[in-house]
Amino acid sequence: MIAYRKLSSAMHDRLIQKLEILSDAAKYDASCASGSAGKRQPGKTDKSGIGSLTGGSGICHSFTPDGRCVSLLKILMTNYCIYDCHYCINRVSSNVQRARFTVKETIDLTLNFYKRNYIEGLFLSSGIVGSPDITMESMVRIAKSLRLDHGFKGYIHLKTIPNASSELQAEAGLYADRLSINVEMPTQSSLNRYAPEKDLSNIHDSMNVLKDKIAEHKVDQTYSGKRPPRFAPGGQSTQMIIGADGSNDKTILGTSVKLYSQQKLRRVYYSAFSPIPDASDVLPLKPAPLLREHRLYQADWLLRFYGFGLDEILQDDMLDMDYDPKLSWALRNRHIFPIDLNTADKQLLLRVPGLGARTVQKILSIRRNTKLNWVDLTKMRLPLKKLKPFVKVGDYFPDIHLLDSNNFELQFKEPKQFELFSA
Amino acid sequence: MKSIAITSVPGFDEWREASRECLSQHIAPEDIIWKSVHTLQEDLFGDMGENAEKKKVQRNHTIPKPVLTLIKYALCHTDDSKFSLCYRVLWRVVYENKKLIQLKTDGDVIQLYAMAKAVKRDAYKMSAFLRFREVKLAGQEHFVAWYEPEHFSLEINLSFFQTRFKNMRWSILTPYRAAHWDTETLVLEDNPDSSAAPDEDRIEKYWLTYYANIFNPARIKTNAMLNQMPKKYWKNMPETSLIGDMIKQSDARVRKMISNED
Repeated sequence: MIAYRKLSSAMHDRLIQKLEILSDAAKYDASCASGSAGKRQPGKTDKSGIGSLTGGSGICHSFTPDGRCVSLLKILMTNYCIYDCHYCINRVSSNVQRARFTVKETIDLTLNFYKRNYIEGLFLSSGIVGSPDITMESMVRIAKSLRLDHGFKGYIHLKTIPNASSELQAEAGLYADRLSINVEMPTQSSLNRYAPEKDLSNIHDSMNVLKDKIAEHKVDQTYSGKRPPRFAPGGQSTQMIIGADGSNDKTILGTSVKLYSQQKLRRVYYSAFSPIPDASDVLPLKPAPLLREHRLYQADWLLRFYGFGLDEILQDDMLDMDYDPKLSWALRNRHIFPIDLNTADKQLLLRVPGLGARTVQKILSIRRNTKLNWVDLTKMRLPLKKLKPFVKVGDYFPDIHLLDSNNFELQFKEPKQFELFSA
Repeated sequence: MKSIAITSVPGFDEWREASRECLSQHIAPEDIIWKSVHTLQEDLFGDMGENAEKKKVQRNHTIPKPVLTLIKYALCHTDDSKFSLCYRVLWRVVYENKKLIQLKTDGDVIQLYAMAKAVKRDAYKMSAFLRFREVKLAGQEHFVAWYEPEHFSLEINLSFFQTRFKNMRWSILTPYRAAHWDTETLVLEDNPDSSAAPDEDRIEKYWLTYYANIFNPARIKTNAMLNQMPKKYWKNMPETSLIGDMIKQSDARVRKMISNED
């Protein structure tokens, strides 16, 4: 909680104090996206209400010095909590300052921020006060009132409360664009140690309830031709904390793969454990390296969009820190390179280090009109140094000995002092 | 040599009229000098274009929609070479290759995409970084923003703001043009007075509080922030005045976090 000179005149404002406490407490959640809920806009004759969804990944309205996008009003409804999860700054045994927004305060803040073009919408989570159902009921009330009383068409993400009733979860989905429950740890044994009140199979059950609801609302079961009501059109997401427990990357990514395939999650977020005030003794003293978090995101992307399998990405239990997982795979599979950019199919192009999904699409479209030569690659602003040994085009073929040389991989090593990932 | 003066900004309608005329008279791109309001005053040579022989060849060339969309974006660029570039592309689409813009390795195409992309990015940033401030006009809420885009991005964003803030009264002021919306009609005004923009807002202090507290001082990544939010945009955003102090104090905050455990 910091107060800058500019703000000091307003220090006595109670709402400012609440906002300090309850936004500070929400910043450990990595998710900030406001996308993938499709488009939404007011009807031509709507005389009240506010907001729209532009489709795509939502607008980033600002950026903070940690490089993260500010897209949503991300706050806790309250940081009072009856649970004692060790990694959490708001656990019952922590002596942080506590605060609680009223339903009306949360709604007013959301609308006032939205009208000034600060945000795309609201991301609301909460500590657990009274009981999971009491907490969840207040959160649903906020979303419901924003939608029905104020005609709010912006984005709403609710972090559902584990162990809340399935009726409340189902109601939440009628008003929220996205729902999420954090699994926090990849295994039950880690949860037992760090979040004694949380149960992995309960979390999976809740996710499955929502998964079924989402699927149900996508098809019209009445055959009336009417569109079914929207239910969390942005799907579900979750978060895992990295480096607080001893789980390796194989366990973490294995959990992700299951969450994507079985619970049909849209996104799994990874959050490198970082020191929190008033930390519990069970936690490691040092923050987890941000590079590890970065590598997990890269691997996650390869699994979802590039057709890689888990066993291809991981050679042993941990991801390679020196090279990104795609390059690392290429270095282990040199025999399939160089790949001919003029003839290779899409799946193969996606495996070339330095070619992203968009570039691959571009190459496929250019190929239909003309044959690619080296000069064309230079015009496409590609990472040529990285690409060079792995591809061939009309008038270019890499040095045959390059791929086989002993120190080949050393040229790709990232300098250690890379500011972005210093932990 | 024909000389064409575009007197409005961004000048899309004027350019389209003139280009249609030139295409129908079969005037090649290299025979046209495009001038804008900026270059007009500096020009010492008379307009020879009036005497050029007019020959009607063909009217109503059909231009594929994606080409026009791309050109529309590019014409919002502040670089005056856009007029001749866009006409050249138009000419080549008509007389050389209907699918020209698919040749992503062609010099003109690359330049056109680059200009359109710069404008799209600037327009996106405007939709993101513009901040309204509330005033009371005749007893009613009215939201006013002063924003300085890099290109002529206001026109690209009008439908976005009209949709999102349909039932709000607002005015967006830029150095070259203002747009006023009263929940039903849009009124444009050239060269608005910047002093009409309010310098206070009753909610802004909450936004600054939120911005200062939502960031994690344990993971400073200034370059990542600057990539997405270059300094040239900062003048439009009240929260950027906090950034200097936030970075300066981050080390102390992290140390406090860790030492708190004793």
